[in-house]
Amino acid sequence: MGGIEIGTAETVVFWVLGPIALAGALGMVLARNAVHSALFLVNTMLALGVFYVVQEAPFLGAVQIIVYTGAIMILFLFVLMLVGRDSSDSVVETLRGQRVAATVLGIGFAGLVGAGIARATEGMVVTGLEGVQGGEGGAADGNIEAIAGLLFTRYLLAFEVTSALLITAAVGAMVLAHIEREPGSRLTQKERSRARFLTSDHPQTLPGPGVYARANSIAAPGRLPDGSPAEASYATGVEPQVVEELPPGDPAGDGRDPGAGRGHGPDAALGTTRGVTR
Amino acid sequence: MLATYAPLVGLFVLAAGFALFSVTAAPFIGPRRYNSAKLEAYECGIEPVDQPLSGGRFPIKYYLTAMLFIVFDIEIVFLYPWAVANDQLGVFGLVEMVVFIATVFIAYAYVWRRGGLEWD
Amino acid sequence: MIEAPDLSLSALSPFLFVFGAALVGVLVESFAPRHVRQPTQVALALVGTVGGFACTLLLAGRGEVTAAGALAVDGAGLFLQATIAGLGALSVLLFAERALDPARSAFVASAAVPAGSPRDRELLTDERVQTEVYPLATFAVGGMMLFVAANDLLVMFIALEVLSLPLYLICGLSRRRRLLSQEAAVKYFLLGAFASAFFLYGLALVYGATGTVQLAGIRQSVTDDGTGTLLVLGLGLLVVGLMFKASVAPFHTWTPDVYQGAPTPVTAFMAACTKVAAFGAILRLLYVAFGTADWTWRPLVYGIAIVSMVVGAVLGLTQTDVKRMLAYSSIAHAGFLLTGVIGLDAGTGSGLAATLFYLLAYGLTTVGAFAVVTLVRDGDGEATALAQWAGLARRSPLTAAIMTFLLLALAGIPLTSGFTGKFAVFRAAIEVGAWPLAVVALVTSAVAGFFYLRLVVLMYFSEPAEDGPSVGVPGLPTTIVLAVTVAATLVLGVVPGSVLDLADGAARLVG
Repeated sequence: MGGIEIGTAETVVFWVLGPIALAGALGMVLARNAVHSALFLVNTMLALGVFYVVQEAPFLGAVQIIVYTGAIMILFLFVLMLVGRDSSDSVVETLRGQRVAATVLGIGFAGLVGAGIARATEGMVVTGLEGVQGGEGGAADGNIEAIAGLLFTRYLLAFEVTSALLITAAVGAMVLAHIEREPGSRLTQKERSRARFLTSDHPQTLPGPGVYARANSIAAPGRLPDGSPAEASYATGVEPQVVEELPPGDPAGDGRDPGAGRGHGPDAALGTTRGVTR
Repeated sequence: MLATYAPLVGLFVLAAGFALFSVTAAPFIGPRRYNSAKLEAYECGIEPVDQPLSGGRFPIKYYLTAMLFIVFDIEIVFLYPWAVANDQLGVFGLVEMVVFIATVFIAYAYVWRRGGLEWD
Repeated sequence: MIEAPDLSLSALSPFLFVFGAALVGVLVESFAPRHVRQPTQVALALVGTVGGFACTLLLAGRGEVTAAGALAVDGAGLFLQATIAGLGALSVLLFAERALDPARSAFVASAAVPAGSPRDRELLTDERVQTEVYPLATFAVGGMMLFVAANDLLVMFIALEVLSLPLYLICGLSRRRRLLSQEAAVKYFLLGAFASAFFLYGLALVYGATGTVQLAGIRQSVTDDGTGTLLVLGLGLLVVGLMFKASVAPFHTWTPDVYQGAPTPVTAFMAACTKVAAFGAILRLLYVAFGTADWTWRPLVYGIAIVSMVVGAVLGLTQTDVKRMLAYSSIAHAGFLLTGVIGLDAGTGSGLAATLFYLLAYGLTTVGAFAVVTLVRDGDGEATALAQWAGLARRSPLTAAIMTFLLLALAGIPLTSGFTGKFAVFRAAIEVGAWPLAVVALVTSAVAGFFYLRLVVLMYFSEPAEDGPSVGVPGLPTTIVLAVTVAATLVLGVVPGSVLDLADGAARLVG
């Protein structure tokens, strides 16, 4: 079996991305913050995706990036947010010596498997994809066509049964996470509108938040004519924000709007950067 | 083989360079007139706070959305090789793909009918 | 042009039936109004499992490989598929029981409602049930049937996932003691995911060593090129993944917790069907792919068989809960089954037939035992603490008698199916010269017999507690299950000849 040369570009990519992938994996295990761990994992998965592409498996590389770094990592992050990013593991050992035993056994297992693979692959000749997939005109010429060929022949059964797996996943997610509303427990838009007009003295929409030049956030409440915040304009689920007061007094003393702040230019009239961290 | 990716690498370098240039150059070239309003979140934005009212936790609905996304994402992954090799696969491949899609579509029907797609 | 593979629809018919029923079940969940779901789902699940059972019977005698080499249709596979489908149908009947519990079902009304919330307490006695358990269980049955027929490691892996995922879910859907049930589901899921990862890693290493994932291809490669480090390492990891599913010690740690936490009908389903499926896959992998290099796995299986028997029997002695005790009994039985696996001797030994018979006998008996556990209840649901079973024979002689009979079968007393099964596997082990293993098996059987008998003594010779549990009057489904399992345990113990012959005739693997 004649070996093939590994190109310079491939070697360079390997030696650049290898340490990055490894660092990401270590970072994932060692990071204290769970969100950081997830981001380290993204780093590793991206590096692996590039490796796949470099090793002449562009489809696998694309799937790695779309499914793993895309969808699965989003799921990871959502689950972390679900648990609360501040919650951390308890460091109390329920079984004494568990941690030490797990570390020793884990390292032992990794050593065993690593040594086994190292021994078995020692002196193995690099063949390249073309060599094992039928040479010129073989599968390696059209990676995706080759995958389709296998998917629809030898692995057809596996492929079709995967749909059962996907259904189970969807049904399971719904069963565990979706609380069904009781029929009739939720008013339709028409019913709600009717109820508003019949019972409330405020049928129109509620006042909006105080969107004016001093605060753009929806958290800033609207103001009533006397300057007090309009409670009806509070956004649900958002803490009302305290808006910086207008600059006091008017230098001209002509009793006009004190907020005009003439003589300082329009920017000064909009307030200072006091209290704003940049 | 890898030469095919050279334009892509070039594009990446170009994009990274442009982003780096814009961010570094802006403070030097642009006028600096800040006020508190300019530094705030714009209209629909919310001022970042340490802990939202819910105690920093997301509602579980996001999990459902992410999970459904993965299910249909994986379906698409299978569609891709079929589409590329369609002319070689012929009617048989079409039938198999329709069976697969119809099966996964049952999951969609379930989620839709049970209200999994409604947000509130 | 890519040629379509040969697909034998008749060979696929059991799967089409079972998976079809599951898919229709999901459609019923989507479109049918709530009050018709429960009866429709029960009917559908029964049609699926019984239909699958009938299809496997019709296929009996076939021996071929279809679906481009991914699926083996052979005697052993069909025997195991029929066993799984039949036990699955019995479990579905247990799922369907609504007469026992004032809470109306063993399954939660709405799984997403937080446990212990006011809404949860409100729903405790609600009429409705999370009826998704039926299609999910049917999917699991389909996965198990594929698992024992997979002629390809990749199909085997996907079948493993198809059978595991629904099980993880339905473990957490108990109506009472919901937190315990959810904890069981999480434990099972986490450890199961690890086991799947081991299996997948082993698959990758075997592929790396042989260049194929088809069992026949692996066998060819083993015969031609011998076995290298990579292959043995891969085999080891594959075996770890499978042994986890079969709850063989030392990969058993999930078993007691999950058996205890899961709703009892689900425990019955897992104890019977998962065990059959996992052993089916173990037999196929070891025999078809590695049959010509049995020195690679024989010492390994020998060792874990002893560990499993000892752990199951000894730790079973210390249990104070009936479900946990039956869990340790299942670990010990996994060890006895492995003695049968050792008795697989390249085509001549009787180990394969013995193991098939043992799986059938054990599955039926264990479903019956868990069905009895669902009957004994107090105000909080099932009374599973051993102390609560004291003097049960006074309250309900019939229940105590049935339980005693089933426990004697588990202990392997003559005139029960357990004795015939144990006799067959031990004989198979001795035939291939593994008599030390048979001696260990006999000693541990005696030890395990002690804890079964302890429960019998407790039921018959203890004073019943003042506020002890009552014995519920089972509805039709549970009654059918009890009648079938007790009758089968008796018949397989008294006149096992015809079924032994059937297993003997079926003991053939293609690939």
